[in-house]
Amino acid sequence: MAFVPLKYNFRNLSVRWPTTLLTVMVSAIVVACSCVLFGLVDGLMYSQAVSGDPLTLLVMRKGADNETSSNFSIQTAQDLATLKGIAQGRARTAEEAQKGFPDLQDKPLISGELLNIPVMSRSDGSRVNLTIRGATSASPYLRPKFEIVEGRYFNPGTRECIVSRSLVSRFPGTRLGQQFRVSDKEVYNVVGIFTAGSSAAESEVWTGREDLAANTNNDRSVSSTRIRAEDNRSLEALIDSITNESRFGLLPKRESVYYQSQNTTALFLTVIGTVIAVLLTIGALFAAANTMFAAVKSRTREIGTMRALGFSRTAILMSFLLESVVITAVGGALGALVSLLFSNWSFGISDFSSFSERVIQLRFGVLPFAVALGMTLAMGVFGGLFPAIRAVRLDVVKALREL
Amino acid sequence: MKFLGYILRNARRNPVRSLLTIGSIAVCGFLAMVLLSLFSTNTEVRSTLVPFNRVITMSAQGFTQPVPIALVREIPAIDDRSGIHAIVHRESDDKPLVSPFSWYGGKFRGESATFFAQFGVDPDTLFDIYPELTIAPDQLQAFKERPDGTVIGRKLAEDKKLSVGDSFELKGEIYPFDMNLTVVGIFDGPEKRDLRTCYFNWNFLNEGLKRDFQGQGANNSGTVLMRCKSDELVTKLCAAVDEDTKSSDRATKTQTEDAFVSQFSEMIKDLQTYINMVGLAVAFSLLVICGVAMAMSMRERTSEVAVLRAIGFQKGQILFMVLTEAVLIAGIGGFIGTFGTMLLFKFWDISPYTMGFFPFFYIPTTVAVTGFLVSLLVGLLSGLIPAFRASSLPVIDGLRKVV
Repeated sequence: MAFVPLKYNFRNLSVRWPTTLLTVMVSAIVVACSCVLFGLVDGLMYSQAVSGDPLTLLVMRKGADNETSSNFSIQTAQDLATLKGIAQGRARTAEEAQKGFPDLQDKPLISGELLNIPVMSRSDGSRVNLTIRGATSASPYLRPKFEIVEGRYFNPGTRECIVSRSLVSRFPGTRLGQQFRVSDKEVYNVVGIFTAGSSAAESEVWTGREDLAANTNNDRSVSSTRIRAEDNRSLEALIDSITNESRFGLLPKRESVYYQSQNTTALFLTVIGTVIAVLLTIGALFAAANTMFAAVKSRTREIGTMRALGFSRTAILMSFLLESVVITAVGGALGALVSLLFSNWSFGISDFSSFSERVIQLRFGVLPFAVALGMTLAMGVFGGLFPAIRAVRLDVVKALREL
Repeated sequence: MKFLGYILRNARRNPVRSLLTIGSIAVCGFLAMVLLSLFSTNTEVRSTLVPFNRVITMSAQGFTQPVPIALVREIPAIDDRSGIHAIVHRESDDKPLVSPFSWYGGKFRGESATFFAQFGVDPDTLFDIYPELTIAPDQLQAFKERPDGTVIGRKLAEDKKLSVGDSFELKGEIYPFDMNLTVVGIFDGPEKRDLRTCYFNWNFLNEGLKRDFQGQGANNSGTVLMRCKSDELVTKLCAAVDEDTKSSDRATKTQTEDAFVSQFSEMIKDLQTYINMVGLAVAFSLLVICGVAMAMSMRERTSEVAVLRAIGFQKGQILFMVLTEAVLIAGIGGFIGTFGTMLLFKFWDISPYTMGFFPFFYIPTTVAVTGFLVSLLVGLLSGLIPAFRASSLPVIDGLRKVV
């Protein structure tokens, strides 16, 4: 079977370049809009995935769904440290020692941490809940790729804090050497800026647990405890012993499972993103169909000629479908490229599980591009299908007679 | 007006194209309405709260920190002592209209996630503080008398098929204490209020914490709610209360109900920025879509326009007719997309599917009207270039042109 040469389509597209260009533009815009939001969803899911370590247990009060709502006594947290199977800290590297990291060599990797979520003003004056974590000497070793990128680690008990790099400039007083002011009585000196491999910790301010406890009059409890197990067997054993000790009233969860369960926000954004993407696709699809209908109409005689020359109906259908897919594919590719311009964007989103600010770096992995591809194909195929069918169903003789 | 028939005929000349354009605008209008309303409903509802002059006191350290219950007595004392006399006193017994307002955040009847709000309050004053909520007098009396009584909003009762006398179990997440309550009343209120809320007696929770959990977390309230006489007095009262608690270890933040509620929408400010950007992109795409459609119609009619000019129609008249046609098509699409969407959500309550993010959802009239006006503007702008081209083409050229 002979197909209509591709050249025919490209020549046609370039002859009516104004409408082609505008249709390309519309599909680029709608694809870019959706890509950016799915870039956010992707970034959020990535952050959740890297936050959970498979060998780390997150222990919270039974019945609490997240760290924010959990709390239990500091005594219980200390009892947890006597359990068997807890991994031990590694030696500090020279760089870490120089940056004032706590020495945790041969000490258990367990960290009872305290959270406070004050309402803070962003640099532009809008308010949001920000997580301040009262950390311990084990905390940095229980986070993925924890690094101090500027300054040094805080000294506990001296009202010092370190701030995630994603928060700097979003909140006033978070630069190195500045004072981070929560209230008149709660002020911390910023001594370091940290990163933590895009994990959840990158939306937090850290200070010593003692400092936070003193500032919030809460020196009797912790919010949660993280425990790194030696291996999988001891992890199972730890889970059993913590769950079965009823006087604890605690529920241990694998950290990876915990972060998977904190998916409300990702779900919410995915739903919004899907609604936006589907509706925009339909809107743009109608536009593409309009262009193609016009293309078919103005080429009625040509179609008749091609049929008379012996091109089959299928060949003509494919030809028009292809033309429409080319238009939207160019647009889709352009849109995806434009969305890449946003890849340095960080997006502040209030996390619905922890009820506090999460700063998410947009990430353009598989998800946003799958969305872009899906939208492009839908626009091209469905936008081109009905016009192409109309082209095919033309009566050859009538078509040739058409003005 | 005498050309209306001609304009209407022209609009119907290529029904597929007109319908696709209208469809495109309607779908995009629907999307824009939904997205814009996510935030403007919040603004609109907040403005309805202003006349009640309600004030909320929370901890200066954020939502996770409670305030001492003693504030329920102390705030009226501060109000009297400082001579502000802002708080409304009930006429019958001179009781100040102040109530604890404590977020319980529990899970209903074994649900894995519960999406309606639950607050511990003072049954005696709540409905005086919220005069816009209505409840049968005997049910209110039962709420005041029965320690384990709860009153729930009408829509919550409908969703969960609950009626007076049913049991109402809540499992604590923030609090260790689970509550077995009994529905003693169902309240109703204005359409634009969260009627999926549950109020219970704060004392019931407090007694439970004292009895079963050695008073852990007892004698605290999440926030304190009160009603004031006028907005000038509100400002003074807020300052006086915060000044009084400033030196204590439980500093407070007192603000109007409006300011308190707006914190929640400020949290998702970045999402709001994104959605506004999508809105702009949609409007621009529509402009392109309509423009292309209009340009295609006019090109097909070149010789016809020339005939009109030849038989004596003025340039201005042609211009007017083309623009009217463009505005008409865009306007029909816009009307369906805006007012149609408004009507749809009037009869379709989507809140049960929004996981509690939107206790009620509707399209504010202002949003719909704005959207409709934008669609008319889009029609007008999109018609400009084709209209000028059509009206300014020399008659001879137009007649000679083969389309």
